[in-house]
Amino acid sequence: MSESDVTAVPGSRQSGANGLRRHTALLVMLVAALIVLALFPSFAQPYYVTLVLPAFAYAIALLGFNLLFGYTGLLSFGHALFVALGAYGAAVLTSKLGIKSFELILLASGLAAVVVAIPVGLLAVRYVRIFFGILTLAFGMLFHSFLFKFYNITGGDTGIRVLRPALFGNEFSEMDKTAFLIGPFYYYCLVLLVVLGFVMWRIVHSPFGLHLTAIRENSRKAEYLGVRVRMFRLAAFLISAFYCAIGGVILAINTGQADPETAYWTHSGELVFMTVLGGFANFFGPLVGAFVFIFLKSELMSLTQYWRFFLGVTLALIVILFPRGVMGVAQDLWSKVKKQQ
Amino acid sequence: MTALIETVGVSKAYGSFVALDGVSLSVASGELLSVVGPNGAGKTTLVNVLTGLLKPSSGSVRFKGEDIAGIGPVALAKRGMARAFQLVHIFPAMTVAQTIGVAVVSQTSRSLRLFASVATDAALRSRVREVATIFGLDTKLDTESRLLSQGEKKLLDIASAFALTPEVILLDEPTSGVSSGDKHGIMRTLMDAAKHAGVQAIILVEHDMNLVAEYSTRIIALKEGKVLADLPPKQFFADPDIVAAVVGKLVGRMSQRAA
Amino acid sequence: MTAFFDILLGGVFHAAVLFLVAAGLQLVFGVQKIVNLACGSFYALGAYFGITSVNWALAAGLPPWMFLPVLIISGIVLGAIGPAIEALLRTIYARDEAFQLLLTFALVLMFQDVLRFFWGPNPQQLSNLVTEYGRLSIGTFSVSTYNLLVIAASILIAVGIGAFLQRTRFGRILRATAENREMSQALGVNVRWMYTSVFTLGTILGTVGGALVVPTAAASLDMPVELVVEAFAVVVIGGLGSMRGALVGALIVGLMRAAAITFYAELEILAIYLVVIVVLIARPAGLFGKPIE
Repeated sequence: MSESDVTAVPGSRQSGANGLRRHTALLVMLVAALIVLALFPSFAQPYYVTLVLPAFAYAIALLGFNLLFGYTGLLSFGHALFVALGAYGAAVLTSKLGIKSFELILLASGLAAVVVAIPVGLLAVRYVRIFFGILTLAFGMLFHSFLFKFYNITGGDTGIRVLRPALFGNEFSEMDKTAFLIGPFYYYCLVLLVVLGFVMWRIVHSPFGLHLTAIRENSRKAEYLGVRVRMFRLAAFLISAFYCAIGGVILAINTGQADPETAYWTHSGELVFMTVLGGFANFFGPLVGAFVFIFLKSELMSLTQYWRFFLGVTLALIVILFPRGVMGVAQDLWSKVKKQQ
Repeated sequence: MTALIETVGVSKAYGSFVALDGVSLSVASGELLSVVGPNGAGKTTLVNVLTGLLKPSSGSVRFKGEDIAGIGPVALAKRGMARAFQLVHIFPAMTVAQTIGVAVVSQTSRSLRLFASVATDAALRSRVREVATIFGLDTKLDTESRLLSQGEKKLLDIASAFALTPEVILLDEPTSGVSSGDKHGIMRTLMDAAKHAGVQAIILVEHDMNLVAEYSTRIIALKEGKVLADLPPKQFFADPDIVAAVVGKLVGRMSQRAA
Repeated sequence: MTAFFDILLGGVFHAAVLFLVAAGLQLVFGVQKIVNLACGSFYALGAYFGITSVNWALAAGLPPWMFLPVLIISGIVLGAIGPAIEALLRTIYARDEAFQLLLTFALVLMFQDVLRFFWGPNPQQLSNLVTEYGRLSIGTFSVSTYNLLVIAASILIAVGIGAFLQRTRFGRILRATAENREMSQALGVNVRWMYTSVFTLGTILGTVGGALVVPTAAASLDMPVELVVEAFAVVVIGGLGSMRGALVGALIVGLMRAAAITFYAELEILAIYLVVIVVLIARPAGLFGKPIE
C-alpha cells in the first residue's frame, strides 16, 4: 500500500500520554459496543438480530483477511474460497458425517482451510500486487467450479444442508431454529468474535506483526534486515484462511445451507469491499465494515431491486473520497475535535 | 589475522562485458576498507558479490571461511553481514523505533512469536533506544519515517543495518547528498556505532577522497573491473600514478595531505 | 466428422471472441496499468445492446443478412461510454493498484443493475439469425459460416492492432507511454488524451466481442461475472500486457473449452484453471509476459 493510503501503521503508537488517552477512549467505545451487542437480542426485533449473525461471521473473516491485506499488503481476490471451505466443512460434518460438536466443526473446518491454503499460499506468495490478486481469483474460481461441477460430492448448485450443531454438547432441541440462532448461538458467536479478536490483536502487536508491516512497507529493505519475506507472507496467508473458514462456518449454520456461490469471485470482492468500507488501516476497521455492510445491504435490498447499483456507488465513493473508510473518517473527526479543545 | 571476508580471483561477466576481472581482496577484523574508483569501475558489482547478491562467474567469495556466493540478503544478515544502500530505503509508515525494532527482532527467535507483545518488551525497547541514541535519533523514536528529513532517513537506514549487530557492515556512499560539514559528523557517528555494535570491519564505497584518506585503514582502487591498488592510505596517496588514475586533478592536494 | 469440426470451430470462435476482450484488457493494462474487472460488463453490454440494435434494425426494414455489420457498428457506438468511465478511473490513477481494482469492481456492481434496468432479469436472444449465413461446405463436411466470419473478423482485428502498434505513429507513442509514462509526458505527449483513447479502444473491443457472440449464445446477467473468469485465464496464460499473449492464451482457452465439453463436461472450467496454474508455476509471467518481481 502506498504512503498516501496508509497514514498509520495499524495499532501503532503505544507510548506517550496522547496514546494512552486514545487507548482509553477506544477501550470505552469497545466496551460500550460489546454491551450493546450483548443486550441486542433482548431489545431488538428478531429480524435485526438475525442480521447480526452474518455480521459476526464476516467480522471474524475480515479480521483474518485484513491481516493479509492491511498489515501485509497483499490483496487477495480469492478469499471467499476459505469462507466456502468453512461453510462446506460445517455442511459435510453435520449432514454427512453426523458430527454435531460446534467446537469440533470450527476446529476441523479451520484446519481444512489451512491445509488448502498451504499449496495455494506457497504459489501465490511468489507474486505481489496485481498478480497476487489475479492468482488468488483463479484459485477461488477453481474451487467454485469444483463445487459446482462435482455435484455427486458437493451437491452441485443446490449445495449441502447444514444441520444445527451442538454448543458444548447442547443442541437446544427444545428451541426452534430462530430461537436457537438469536439465543445461544448468538452469544456463542459473540464470545467467539471477542476471543478471536483478542488473538488477532496480540498477533498484530507481536514481533510477527511488526515483520508483516515491514514487509508491506518495503519488502526489499525487510529482506536486508533479515526478514524472511515469503515465509512471513505465507504465515499471514494461513492465518487469514483459518479466520475466513470460521466465518464461513457461522454463515452456513445461520442459513442452514452451504452453496457454491459462497466461493464465487464476486463474494471475494465483497470481502475486500467490506474491509475498505470499514477502513483497512485500522484494527477495528474490518469489524466496523462488516456490520455497516450487512446492514447497508439489507436496507438497500428492502428499498430497491437495484441495490447492487447503490452498493457499487458506495464502493466508488469510498475508493475515491474516503479511502481510509469509516474508521478513517472517524479518526479525522476525532483529531479535528481534539484540535479545537 | 584471519580474513573475515575474502575474495579470490572473482570475475563477473555479463555476456562480453567484463564487470570484474580477477579481483582478490581480504578484509580482516579491525579494518575499515574503502573501495574507490571511477564510475563503471565495478564497485557496485564487487559490493553485490561481497554481499551475496551476485554469484561470481568465476572465483570464490567467503565470509568467515564460508562460501557466500549468491546467498541473498536474508541469509547474509543471519551470518553477520549488513548493508546500507546509497539510495535511502525506509518503511514510510513505520516509526524510527519500529524500523530499528524490525532489525533487532529479526535476528532473534522472537520473530516467530505470534503472541509476544512488542510494546511491553523492555529489552527490545532499550536496545532500540540504544541504537537510536548512537545515531542521534533518540528524540525521533515515535516519528514516522516518512516525516524525517533526508539526512535523518539516511541515518535511520544505516542505524537499522547496525541494529542487526553484524560483524561486517558494508556502506554504499553513506555520506552522499550530505553537506561537507556533516560528512565528518556522520563518519564519526559510524565509527562510534561500529564500536558499540561490536562491528569488526567496515567496508565503505566512497567518492569523497578526504574521508577516505582520513578514516580508512586500507584503500582498494578499482579500474575497469581490475584491482589497481590495495594499500594503506599513506602509501596509496604517496603514489601519484594511482591517485591520478582514481581522482585525476586532485593529485597535488592529495599527496600533500598524505605527507 | 462434421460434428468434430463444428466443435473445433466452436472452440476457435470462442477463442476469437475471447481474444477481443483480452486484447482490450491488455491494451488498458499495458498503458494505464489498470486491470479492468468490468471488462465482462462491457462485453455483456455489447451483447444486450447488439440484440436491441439488430431487432430495431430488422423492424426498420433492414434485410436480415445485414445483421453482422449492425452488430459491429452497435459495438463501436457503445465506445462512447469509454471516455466517461476513463474519467472516473482517472480520479485514482495516482493511487495504489488495489484501489484501482476496487473501483473497477464497483463498476461491475453498478453495471449489473444497469443491465437489469434496461433489459430485465431474463436472458435475451437473437432469433435464429445465424442461419442467414448458412453453412459452408468444405469437402465432406460443413461448418457454420457465421463462426468463420467472426473468426476472420477477429484475425483481421488482431492483425490490425499489431500493425497499428508497430507501424503507426500513434501506436509507437502508445508503446512508449506504456514503457515510461513520465518520459512520454516530458516529451510532450498528451498522456491524458492517450489514456482516454486507449481506454475507449479497449472498451470497444469488449463491446464488439459481446455483440459478435449473441447470435450463438444468449445475453444474460451472468455474462459480466463469468467472462471475467475466462478473460483473466487468457491474460494470465498469455502474460499481462502482451497482445501476442492474448492471442495464444485465447486460443488455448477456447480450444481447451471445446475439448473439455466434448470429453468430460465437468472438467470444463476446471481444466482451464489447471492450465493457468501449471503455466504460472512454469512461467510466472505467462507465456509472453515480462518477468515480474
